[in-house]
Amino acid sequence: MNILIIGMAGGLAQITARLMLSENPTWTIMGVDSRSLDKVSPLPGLTTLSMKYSRGNFENIFRSHKFDAVLHLGRISHSSSDAEVLAKRLEISVMGTNRILELCLRSGVSKVIILSTFHVYGALPDNSIFLTEDAPLKASIKHPELRDVVEMDQMCGQFMWKHQNELSTVVLRPCNIVGTQIENTMSRYLTTPMALRPIDYNPFFQFIHEFDMAQILCSSISKLPTGTYNVAGSEFISLREALDLVGSKGLPFPISIAKGMNNVLKLMNIQVPEYLLDYLKFSCLIDNRNLRQHLGDEFLRFKLRETLELIRLR
Amino acid sequence: MHLSQAFSNVWGVSPEDDAKIKEVFEVLRVKYAGYEDPWGFNLELCEKTLRTILPFYRRYFKVRVFGQENVADVPYLVVSNHTGQIPLDAMLITMAFLIDVQPPRILRAMVERFMAQLPFLGDFAAQTGSILGDRANCQYLLEHKESILVFPEGVRGVSKNTTQFYKVQSFTQGFYRIALQQHTPILPIAVVGAEEMFPFTWHVKSLAKLLSLPALPLTANLFPLPSPIDIHIGKPIIVPDDLSSEAPDKDIKEQVMRVEGQIKKMLAVGLKHRRPFFDEIRKPLSKFILKQDRE
Repeated sequence: MNILIIGMAGGLAQITARLMLSENPTWTIMGVDSRSLDKVSPLPGLTTLSMKYSRGNFENIFRSHKFDAVLHLGRISHSSSDAEVLAKRLEISVMGTNRILELCLRSGVSKVIILSTFHVYGALPDNSIFLTEDAPLKASIKHPELRDVVEMDQMCGQFMWKHQNELSTVVLRPCNIVGTQIENTMSRYLTTPMALRPIDYNPFFQFIHEFDMAQILCSSISKLPTGTYNVAGSEFISLREALDLVGSKGLPFPISIAKGMNNVLKLMNIQVPEYLLDYLKFSCLIDNRNLRQHLGDEFLRFKLRETLELIRLR
Repeated sequence: MHLSQAFSNVWGVSPEDDAKIKEVFEVLRVKYAGYEDPWGFNLELCEKTLRTILPFYRRYFKVRVFGQENVADVPYLVVSNHTGQIPLDAMLITMAFLIDVQPPRILRAMVERFMAQLPFLGDFAAQTGSILGDRANCQYLLEHKESILVFPEGVRGVSKNTTQFYKVQSFTQGFYRIALQQHTPILPIAVVGAEEMFPFTWHVKSLAKLLSLPALPLTANLFPLPSPIDIHIGKPIIVPDDLSSEAPDKDIKEQVMRVEGQIKKMLAVGLKHRRPFFDEIRKPLSKFILKQDRE
């Protein structure tokens, strides 16, 4: 099988490629990223290319390699909302994804897997417990800067059903992916010594280990039919307990005033994205029944508490 | 003597209640062993809170519970009239089901979104068993054999002027659809006495709307008065098997009216047999005056 992984410079993409090749030594993987790929360890069966997704030679890759499956893990992180980054996010995450989907369709790819996020649902006080995939995507209502995250997910959903007879599309909405190799807002938040530790709220979280997430990405090629899937284990944990498990004392702080104190916090070198403050107040737990139906009940290797204890290794 | 010791002697938990609390929480610890609650329900905190506020239940509001024999060891959708300006009735019903009803249980009270988003208070409410009033949340809890406390009058039930006291507001239908979906029996409750905690009340609805508050009562007293509370538990109402939870509003409304009617009847009977409100103040005052006269 010939696989294309977009976003190869990311920690999750590298673990996925390694896992995929160790389980299927005859497969070939091409890893593409617009960022530098110098830190990607060479692997037999893995070819890497650094290029922008908007360039003509990106289109040529699709023509010349005839990929069977494409894993799109190249969405730009939504942790920064500076005007410049936001424009780039919209260009890469929305326009870039649209281009990737079109290329997959035109070049006869049979399966495309897109990594979205559970942040599309938003952390709101009226969230039901365990949001299913049908729940409305409300993240950008309060935080317009997250519109690229929601738009990308919705665009993939529309593409999925419009072209369901031509190719199989799988959209994954994982909970917080944490681990030693992945660099995301939650992993950074949990491990920073000055993590804001809410004293006025104690929401619940789900976490998945980066290795388990990579395993699900591999399994999704053969085991998941067209559809959108929440990705989380069945366990959940309160934020304060999670910080205790990671060994982070954090800075006890009333989150209800954190937004107004943002400038003071920045002076203290504590930078928490505004949208994340909502997650430190209200739970956003996702339902995993859809995923379990296809992967079975025991689809994770690491229990939630093990996952958090392993972050200490960072 | 330390001030806390003196306070405890006057306002502490009686030895009988202390033994009762221990017994109740032993039962609950067995029930909740291994259960993880996604809202943060905390049994230890519930026990501490009960110990702190039980004297209010016993000596301040002098709560009486009637109809305990109607409660069986099954999950219920406990439906009550809503009275008083702050939801103290929810707290008292929950305590009644812990301490005066067998088998003891923690009622999971459905709260408004407004409550859920309050700092500190929202977290405390969640830890003591409250949940956001939402169909998916109720379904989850009923599947886990929990009983839920619902006030189908919503905020309209507690935000009443003095002239509207004990006028039950029309019930919303959501609770009945939940009961149908899970085939859960409805346990009707009538609370008598809570309206008089704040006897003179006027609601500034326009200002409440302006401030995005669910209600804004202006009351003569800021602390609730010691109005004696009676909690009447009615016979369970079994929901029909042949009615779908997605049935049209008119079919559901008929059933909801039945529940509402039963609670209104229980309320009328309860009001006839209630203890007079000012007795709680008058009796000790008359004793004091008589004593002064004799001297």
